[in-house]
Amino acid sequence: MTKVFVSAVIDAPVEKVWASVRDFNNLPEWHPKFSRSHIEGGLPSDRIGCVRNFDIAGGGGTIRERLLELSDVEYSFRYCILTAPLPVENYVAQLTLYPVTVGNKTVGIWTAEFDVTNGDEAGVVKAVGDDTFGKAFEVLNTRLSGGRG
Amino acid sequence: MIKVYRSAIIDASADKVWKLARDFNGLPKWHPAIASSEIEGGVPADRVGCVRRFTRRSDGGLLREKLLSLADDTRSLTYNILVSPMPVANYMAGMRFTPITMGGTTFAEWWAVFDVTSGPPQVTADDIGDNVFVAGFAAIGKLLAR
Repeated sequence: MTKVFVSAVIDAPVEKVWASVRDFNNLPEWHPKFSRSHIEGGLPSDRIGCVRNFDIAGGGGTIRERLLELSDVEYSFRYCILTAPLPVENYVAQLTLYPVTVGNKTVGIWTAEFDVTNGDEAGVVKAVGDDTFGKAFEVLNTRLSGGRG
Repeated sequence: MIKVYRSAIIDASADKVWKLARDFNGLPKWHPAIASSEIEGGVPADRVGCVRRFTRRSDGGLLREKLLSLADDTRSLTYNILVSPMPVANYMAGMRFTPITMGGTTFAEWWAVFDVTSGPPQVTADDIGDNVFVAGFAAIGKLLAR
């Protein structure tokens, strides 16, 4: 089992960050690595069990992920991969936001656990940890910290 | 029952912060409000169930607190108050320190739940939150400043 843990400070209030990431169908709207997304069967994107079907930008293939848990109390959601052009199995990930009361900022923690099926653990960890989770926090901070400091 | 939660970013690694905060007998080493501390019975400070007996700098007020849990992998601990000059009862608290991988800093959290036995509850809650918890974070940050 491989674990990825990425955390970052986002210079915006937690409610604002949560409003940006809560929609399980809007990843391509803010994450440059992804394009096009729809929820299969036309279900609401906050209905537990719904499946998002989206593409890696630039013809990188389609990913299908199932929403396992969504909590407006904890500012958190958890999901698993159903199909993806990634050499992983048993992939479960979770994004949680925490309020930083001193300075009214947000800490984002994004974790994943999975098995790597092709032996290239370092490559997968980079694709998931840096290119997906890390990039997400970078982009969110740039988008949402506007007008501050 | 009232809940207090404070959190901050400390500009030092989580391992460094935890090394300070983990010592249940170490409050006087970093917290400006605490004058002296000892563990009752001379047991180790990381033995769950141990009781720290410490005094406030401002008025010499005595507190006794019991260590309820301690975990190095999550860099967290919880404790409750046995004796305190503050108007509180059923007081339980915890702290946790999480690494911020993008930047190498620390996400520090400190919370408490309790009943206030006299005066406006929010005043006591804010006093603890700001003058104990946030002041503690600031002091750790200053001590470990890079």
